[in-house]
Amino acid sequence: MSAIRLENLVKRYGSFTALRTMDLLIEDGEFMALLGPSGCGKSTTMNMIAGMERPSEGRILFGDRDMTGVPMGRRGVGFVFQNFAIFTHMTVRQNLSYGLRMAKLPQAETERRTLAIAEFLRLTPFLDRRADGLSVNILQRVAIGRSAVMEPAIFLLDEPLSNVDAAFRAVMRAELKQLQRQFRQTMVYVTHDQLEAMTMADRIAVMDHGVLQQVGRPIEVYNDPVNIFVATFIGAPGMNLLKGRPVQTDRGLAVDLGPLGISPPLGSAQACALRAASGEVIYGFRPEQASLAPPGEGIPGSVTFEERIGARSIVHLGEGSTAFRAVFEKDVPLAMGDVAHVLPHPDAVRLFDASTGRVLKG
Amino acid sequence: MAEIAFRNVCKSYGATVAVKDMTFTVHDNEFFCFFGPPLSGKTTILRLILGLERPDSGEILIDGRPVNGVAPAGRNIAMVFQNLALFPHMTAEENIRFPLVERGERPDRIAARVGEVARKLRIGHILHKPPALLSGGERQRVAIARALVRDPVAYLMDDPISALDARLREEARVELKRIQREAGRTLIYVTHDQEEAMSVADRMAILEEGCLSQIGTPSEIYDRPVSASVACLLGSPVMNILPLTKEGTAAGGAIRLPPVLRPQAAAFIGIRPENLHVLQQDNDEDGSCRVTDVEPLGGTTVVTVDAGGAVLRAVLRGQPDIHIGSRVTIRVDVAHVHFFGSGGEALHQHREGLA
Amino acid sequence: MTLSDAARRPAVSSVPRPRDEGAALGFRLTLPAQILVLFIAVFPLLMQLYLSLTDWAPLTGTAWPRAWEYWNAGANYVDLLSDRRLWDALARTGLIILICVPVQFLLGLGLALLFVDDFPGKRLAYSILIMPMMVVPAVAGYMFFMLFQSGGPINGLLGSLIGRDLAIAWLSDPVLALVAVMLADIWQWTPLMFLILLAGLVGVPADQMKAAALLGASPWQRFVTIVLPRMRPIIAIALAIRVIEIFKIFDTLYIMTGGGPGSATETISVYIYEVTTQDLVWGYVAAIGLAILIVLSVIAAFAVRRLGESRA
Repeated sequence: MSAIRLENLVKRYGSFTALRTMDLLIEDGEFMALLGPSGCGKSTTMNMIAGMERPSEGRILFGDRDMTGVPMGRRGVGFVFQNFAIFTHMTVRQNLSYGLRMAKLPQAETERRTLAIAEFLRLTPFLDRRADGLSVNILQRVAIGRSAVMEPAIFLLDEPLSNVDAAFRAVMRAELKQLQRQFRQTMVYVTHDQLEAMTMADRIAVMDHGVLQQVGRPIEVYNDPVNIFVATFIGAPGMNLLKGRPVQTDRGLAVDLGPLGISPPLGSAQACALRAASGEVIYGFRPEQASLAPPGEGIPGSVTFEERIGARSIVHLGEGSTAFRAVFEKDVPLAMGDVAHVLPHPDAVRLFDASTGRVLKG
Repeated sequence: MAEIAFRNVCKSYGATVAVKDMTFTVHDNEFFCFFGPPLSGKTTILRLILGLERPDSGEILIDGRPVNGVAPAGRNIAMVFQNLALFPHMTAEENIRFPLVERGERPDRIAARVGEVARKLRIGHILHKPPALLSGGERQRVAIARALVRDPVAYLMDDPISALDARLREEARVELKRIQREAGRTLIYVTHDQEEAMSVADRMAILEEGCLSQIGTPSEIYDRPVSASVACLLGSPVMNILPLTKEGTAAGGAIRLPPVLRPQAAAFIGIRPENLHVLQQDNDEDGSCRVTDVEPLGGTTVVTVDAGGAVLRAVLRGQPDIHIGSRVTIRVDVAHVHFFGSGGEALHQHREGLA
Repeated sequence: MTLSDAARRPAVSSVPRPRDEGAALGFRLTLPAQILVLFIAVFPLLMQLYLSLTDWAPLTGTAWPRAWEYWNAGANYVDLLSDRRLWDALARTGLIILICVPVQFLLGLGLALLFVDDFPGKRLAYSILIMPMMVVPAVAGYMFFMLFQSGGPINGLLGSLIGRDLAIAWLSDPVLALVAVMLADIWQWTPLMFLILLAGLVGVPADQMKAAALLGASPWQRFVTIVLPRMRPIIAIALAIRVIEIFKIFDTLYIMTGGGPGSATETISVYIYEVTTQDLVWGYVAAIGLAILIVLSVIAAFAVRRLGESRA
């Protein structure tokens, strides 16, 4: 059994609390991404699962077994370091077979498993090369192979793609997914890149300032963020957030966005949520879930900047606190300084409490 | 005027050719980006422009003046380092002033210049602070101000934001582009991230193994790549490249192209993932292709399809109801198909982009 | 590829470069200083070689440049081969090396391993530990001379341990004198070994150690497979330094025993000292010096080569 259960996990360094009461169940065979900015506690959580650090409070269970006090060598987890931590004084073969040799497995078995994993990760041509002369992309596969050869039930990866060049990242993402599908390990993946988390993970645990913010399938976290942190951290670009006050219009309940005028009328679910609100709210919508509208219908903003990235174009509108973005298919007839009216799709609007940052639910 | 041009520049290190017969012109006030995979010669080009290396042959011109024999100090080109290299014990203002003080400028001249640059970069209100108290974006502005205060012909940046978190990178690149617009001046920029390159560049040069493959605006290169390899360097997911049969089919017959619409010499076709349409079949038996992976990104969904043994990636808008294992058919608009010859060269007539 | 990567690459070009011109000018400007340095380093060596081929001695009444008058065409080197006292001294020095270096190495390594991780009072312990190294060898010699007196503190301590009075004559027993001399050397120079090895241990990447632990390697396995291979060059240097130093052991030992009793602790250096000051055969001494220099150079070259190997 290789489900991972974190119970009331707390980690303090002196007076600094790196992780506050984390409860998380990672199912057997699940690919879980721990996502958040630097210093959010994701790596600390991972290190405690691996046994490299001891929790200040709480328990870590693998299946039903309490692992909290078990030293790291005996937890049977695979771990891929951000800098790979390859044994540079050994050959690729010696790196791959390291764990098997330390466990004193029969030579034939060691040989067979080493060759099999080398074949799987396309490392066979490099087997007898010394590890310190190899490119980052190969080292990365050695790092994965060195742990995978032990066939661990739990596989932990600490930002393994952050040192890999951009073009190769897509290839590695696909490869990691395939690896996980093939061996069905429980995989915990730490990253600051929401794209990696979205494309690879079964579920994402979003963290910030040592607090677990939200856990869910990628699309759930994207569609229904619980607070403004998750709303802005997930998505490329993140959700637009505009401050406003509830207002009743003749076309229904809406949000008065101050200098930007009155928002388009809300759908029934959001209208319901707005009724529960008191005071200021934050009107949120995804840049990708909006379209151009005739004047008077959408939210106005003058184009300050346009990024054309292949088929997409990210249009930046407005300045300061009234700045927002919209993503369009390539050929949108907008120039710098033009005033565009952007109409969010009614279903895609989310409202948040301005003081707590939490999502408003009807 | 601040124009930087290479005329048939070559540079080798022993047997390694770093820059092969390169000719291009970077215009005044341009945000010009060199993009290519590792070891494609990007950094050598920067060093040649800075004057840290001399070309083996060919000419480097700044404003039409050959500078082959001019030492780095005489070229008046500034470099902004990746780590910004601000002096931590000085305030922002002292940092910016530093190059002028070193050059022995008159105090009133210095004050005027610093004031001017600070106004352009909108950092007047933070001049008294040391770098430690500034945000990342402010530090970037101060570093650029220090480069611009000398009134250089151009300033160079070598992969300045690659060390940042993904989210910060997206913000930083917009910020950089804004700064360049506000401050003016030619900015020559090196990156290995295609999204970043397309986002910031007015024009860009694609480098492959020391050769200049294509030069143009990001859209020109994205829409009309000169070769299959250039096409694959831009765009994520990468372009689907498929061998084309004599009969005009690809992907095991899932894609058919009428003979009149395809060039005779076409050996490969390329389809951008966003131009590949995936149609779900009500009846599972109908579809000729099978979905092997679905990656929902929220605004778009990347679908991987197995079509007659060929693996195709498609980007669909929104969050379509497609699952792994679904049978689907694929459609492609011929107008969006790229044709490549057997050597990977593009077979359409759009070659204006190559300077 | 970064700027610095490119800078490291060898730049070969047919065009003359400003950098090359600069280097040539630099060479010319520093030439006088370089000649001086060469002269200082090489002159004594040449002088020694010259004298070693003669029977010259200060009492012959001629100045040393005219030593050729006493030319003996390598007879010194022939004598050297049959000099029983020299070979005994050599064997004795070798014995001290064979015992002291391994002991210092093991003690130094053990201490260094203790000091890799933090513990309360680490800084203080560290300062105390490296103190012996800083004691002037002559002072250390007198200190141990006192300690090993038959009525001295060492006998007192041992006596109180076994419960009866002891009067071991440490420095006048041929075997025990050698032991005492070796103990003094171990006391004084284990700290150096400790320092060098600690520097090496700290350089072993922590992530690699963690990775090995996560792959199930026991502490001993980690030590053998990660620490030792990475420390090989450092160990080679530490051992070479100590071998060379003990080869020249003199001051502490001479003060403790004067090379005695008899010639029981007469090492190479003591022997040379005796020959120089009493027999005054300087040509012969020069020959011995050169022979030893060659032996030590071979040891040093071996250590340097090991260093190169581990980098390749």
